[in-house]
Amino acid sequence: MPTHLEVNGQARETENDPAIPLAVYLREELELRGTKIGCGNGECGACTVVMDGRAVCSCLVPLGRTEGRRIETIESLGDLNNLHPIQRKLVERGAFQCGFCTPGIVMSLIALLRRNPRPDDAKIRTALQGNLCRCSGYVKLLEAIGEIVREGLHER
Amino acid sequence: MNAEFRTIGKPRPQLEGPAKVSGRAQYTHDLTLPNMLHGAILRSPHPHARIRSVDLSRARAMPGVVAAVCGTDFPDLKYVNAGPAFADRFAMARDKVRFTGEEVAAVAAQTPVQAQVALAAITVDYEILPAVYDVETALTPDAPAIHEKSDLPRNVAQESIADFDGVEQAFGDAAHIFDATFEHGIVAPICLETNGVLADYDTETGDLTLWAPSQAPFFVRKEIAHVMDLPLEKVHAKSVVIGGGFGGKSQSPEPIAIAAFLSITTGRPVKILLNRQEEFLSGKSDHAKKMRVRSAVAADGTILGRHTEFWVDNGAYTHMGPAYISAVRQRTCNLYRVGAAGFDGKLVHTNKVSGGSYRGMGSPQIIWAIETQIDEIAERLGKDKLEYRIEIANRPGDRTPQGWEIGTCALAECLEEAGRRIGWAEKKDAMPPNRGIGFAAMINPSVGVLYAEGNFACVSIDLLEDGRLKVGTQSADCGTSQNTVMGQFVAEELGLDADVIDVLHMDTDETPPDLGSAASRVTFVSGNAAIKTAKSFRAEIASRLASHWDVPADEIDFTDGIASYKDDNARRLTLAEIAALEGPFRVEDRYDIDIPRPDPKTGYGHYAATYGFGAQAVELEVDPATGQVTVHKIVVVQDIGRVINPLALEGQMQGGIVQGIGMALREELVFNDGVPVNASLITYKAPRIQDTPEIDIAFIETDDPTGPYGAKAGGEHSINPTPAAIANALAQATGTRFRKLPIKASDILQATAVKPSPDLKPWKRPYNLEVASARALYPAILYPGLRKLGGKLGRKPAAKTEYDYIRPKNLQEALRALAAQDRKAKVMAGGTDLQVGLRQGVYDADTLVDIADLEELRGIAIAADKVIVGAATTIAEITERDDIRAIHPMLTEGLSRIATAQIRNVATIAGDLSQEKRCWFFRSGAQCYKAGGMTCPCYAVLGDNRHHSILGAGRCAAPCVADAAPILTALDAVVVVAGAGGERRIPMQDFYIWSGKTRVAENEIIRAIEIPRDHVPVSQRFEKVAGWDGDFADASVAVNLSWDGPKLAAARISLGAVAPLPVRATRTEAALLADGLSDTAIEAAAGLTVEGALPLSDNAYKARLLVNLTERAIKNSLPE
Repeated sequence: MPTHLEVNGQARETENDPAIPLAVYLREELELRGTKIGCGNGECGACTVVMDGRAVCSCLVPLGRTEGRRIETIESLGDLNNLHPIQRKLVERGAFQCGFCTPGIVMSLIALLRRNPRPDDAKIRTALQGNLCRCSGYVKLLEAIGEIVREGLHER
Repeated sequence: MNAEFRTIGKPRPQLEGPAKVSGRAQYTHDLTLPNMLHGAILRSPHPHARIRSVDLSRARAMPGVVAAVCGTDFPDLKYVNAGPAFADRFAMARDKVRFTGEEVAAVAAQTPVQAQVALAAITVDYEILPAVYDVETALTPDAPAIHEKSDLPRNVAQESIADFDGVEQAFGDAAHIFDATFEHGIVAPICLETNGVLADYDTETGDLTLWAPSQAPFFVRKEIAHVMDLPLEKVHAKSVVIGGGFGGKSQSPEPIAIAAFLSITTGRPVKILLNRQEEFLSGKSDHAKKMRVRSAVAADGTILGRHTEFWVDNGAYTHMGPAYISAVRQRTCNLYRVGAAGFDGKLVHTNKVSGGSYRGMGSPQIIWAIETQIDEIAERLGKDKLEYRIEIANRPGDRTPQGWEIGTCALAECLEEAGRRIGWAEKKDAMPPNRGIGFAAMINPSVGVLYAEGNFACVSIDLLEDGRLKVGTQSADCGTSQNTVMGQFVAEELGLDADVIDVLHMDTDETPPDLGSAASRVTFVSGNAAIKTAKSFRAEIASRLASHWDVPADEIDFTDGIASYKDDNARRLTLAEIAALEGPFRVEDRYDIDIPRPDPKTGYGHYAATYGFGAQAVELEVDPATGQVTVHKIVVVQDIGRVINPLALEGQMQGGIVQGIGMALREELVFNDGVPVNASLITYKAPRIQDTPEIDIAFIETDDPTGPYGAKAGGEHSINPTPAAIANALAQATGTRFRKLPIKASDILQATAVKPSPDLKPWKRPYNLEVASARALYPAILYPGLRKLGGKLGRKPAAKTEYDYIRPKNLQEALRALAAQDRKAKVMAGGTDLQVGLRQGVYDADTLVDIADLEELRGIAIAADKVIVGAATTIAEITERDDIRAIHPMLTEGLSRIATAQIRNVATIAGDLSQEKRCWFFRSGAQCYKAGGMTCPCYAVLGDNRHHSILGAGRCAAPCVADAAPILTALDAVVVVAGAGGERRIPMQDFYIWSGKTRVAENEIIRAIEIPRDHVPVSQRFEKVAGWDGDFADASVAVNLSWDGPKLAAARISLGAVAPLPVRATRTEAALLADGLSDTAIEAAAGLTVEGALPLSDNAYKARLLVNLTERAIKNSLPE
């Protein structure tokens, strides 16, 4: 039975095995490889995408469950030459290093800011607790997010 | 500052930033080639065994399989990474396996799943050998020999003994002798990107091309050419984006050779990606070691001599062990002034995964030991711990006992500044209880002479057609911005904007040789090479234009990107114009670290061009009730020469410091029979965003004459003093010196408790007599017997990689699917445990019935007398409801502390209650009592049982860690279960049979949870302590009090994570009702929670924790 879903604004129908993780479908069938797989067990958050407005680990969402749902991945934001203001801020402020966790962090942040455009430090930390970053120590990330919130960059 | 520079000293965002943040960067995981196969590796389930035979025939016949290979198919050659004298490992095990997880066979198939499935069809006949897991046992004469041939004593891989300037004499002259032994476990690098490789062998040309995340393509090429028996020039490493290194990718990881061999065998590209568990099982982590540090100190505090003994756990094979020993030695006597120094280091084999390198290469831990002793010396001599450090700090011009000649050095200034910034002078005599400040410092060579063949770097500069430059370096940027920094050097030297420079790294065809990014070497060594190459590039332009313009080359100027001759407007060209005139061209140059090498035998001698220094100050606070540490602030002051890119350097500092916090307080691999049982990112507790403290960074720039634009190395500077400074602050906060890293909350709690141990009265539970007798019989009789009978550690084939998925339309359809006889179906709601558990082999199902979206199971209804929560309501949906918070605040607060935001968005309340038990032996594949039944042992009895039950454990000691369980028990909730014959209601009190086992039958589905509402005033509190905020609880308490006016009418208290079931604390409840709510009454009542407890070897802290937490929860629940 095919699965029907929307990915980054585009309607999709797939005959792929509904048991496979959404992350694998995105990466292999749609070739949207910005979504990373760091553990496959929902522990690191590198595969975070936004599903119906909520941040989820796409490695733990079976493809079948996306029937009728809206998925947003990192590719829905800016591209290389036209970054989203949030992305530009993260680059400018050195908010990441190796970058493997970064698409997941951006998607967690997008989900947070849509629900709560003015989160305080505690809310930001709670929302990103599921995104493991080994390089940065999170300091510049928190600074950058502070500026994103103050400058209202997610609304642009 | 640095106004004289164009780009040096300015914050430059990293070149790869836009590609990474937009998801367009190409990591190895993201690469594909036409016709590509997927490889998978079969790993040894035994820590030590002889391989009698490997039968690949069934695997070769499996669907999609193109090749299956084992060790004897590979060339008969061993890795030579640590030097030919240490070569002890084949690309794949041939005769013997020496650790659980070692590579035994591999397959290449059309899809990753086909490759995984085919592994199960490989039969290996092992002769199991006795194994040894710790250094002490490995050194005994009767220990099994892990490698047979050696001139050294059994299992010793290397001995490193030296005495500089007569250290024993120093001990004879000393007024005080300090002697202490320290030890630490193994820290894992935890790169977010797991190791992987894409290998492509061209059968016509014999060229092997490799894409792999490696810090050192130089090594990859050399090793792979060697073990594949190919000419070096036939092996090519290509550029990829790398997802973190930290030393974990500094060598040629084993999957590269295996993928290469599969590609050679099949003539097709082969990709292998390690999963997270394989990464833990087989990846190179740090080494564990034990250190005995002795210092001979004169009456005035002068350190006359220091002798350091250390025993390093090398694991099964020698990779970075000898380099590790050398790095550890260097930190013992070169930081503060020491008169004489001696070392006695041993590198010892055990049947565990091989040690590799992790940021700092053992330095953070040896510095921790030394700096602890420095604190103790200051204490004994009555000196201020900061002033004493400043007094004995190395100064410029010093020569250390190891022969290091200190050049620029601002160590004393770094210490002074750190003291100022943390407020030591004001705070030192006014420290509140449970708070402490600690100091530590470090020295780091810039950059050590590593290998005779590797003390150099080359850099290329290409002038491209459009006038842009491409800088080439074979060193690999793992995310540290070193490519950006290399571009800055070239831009500065040539007077260009950094924007016109691209940097290509890693590619062994397109870039000239460089040892790679390790040991903090790139800014210094490759940076010097970049500057030298830029000078050559300028000279090349002059020489080319000299013939065009017919003027002397040395009179041609090149400034701001323009070549010119005097004021001659006709002789004036931009880079683009030069490119048009001359065509693209390339310049390469090389920088050598030009100092004599230390004595190869003793290690004596000047070691690096210069040395970097740094000091840290930490202020922290300990919660005396739980032992948990809050790091408030870390000050880091560095003498790192000149700062080239403050944005990148601050990032290196912050990242290293947070890794250091993990190393100090939480991180270690926990082994059971040589297998890491915490091989997951929940149980291996790397710091999360909640753990990040305020970090205050300052640089004292020294402008080193040997460094590129005066810079020194920096990558490891930040982590090196962090554990030491934290430990010293903890010593002040707790009055206790800890001799083992990590210093866990449980250690702090046990060491510092002011109250005596709670009276456990184990005789109050008659059942304990039986349990205690069984435990007494475990070491000698029960455990070995049961292991032999039924227990074997290793991956069980029950682990599922494939299953069916069905989505019923309604509850009736779901129940019918469960009742089907032809399949083994299981209901899945959030699936956050089930899908993981299937791969771990802890669930058994061939079909998942997804009930997450069933209308009958969703939603929240508030009735007059109860709250009804649909079973498949997500945790997030519940915690977002204000009405639920108003009725049962504990439910909201408790559930919002489950796991992480992403998990709470899909995990359901019924799923939390129904999750399989959390026991790291069970979850890591142990054939234990729970997994294998009566004939199998419980591994927690003799293994590391810090997370297990203290109450009511019998044959299985796993605790119930579902946070919803104690909360819903304290709320007297009822679980409504639907089955073929209708519904039944199970009170929470009776819901569990055992940890992970409920009264819900396999063919039933939880429909809802009903939570009664008291229309009397209630006050509630949920308290939980876990390894990190999002981890499973070590203990939790749910308190639900009902009031009749000011009088306590009822108390319902339930305990989580301390017993296989959520336990109602009935004696505590009764005591509160009988004795009132004074502080002493609450304290006494809380003490009753542990009556009848029978802790295991490592979890006695839970008794204390539970009592304190109960007391806190009751007090915090009381109305204002």
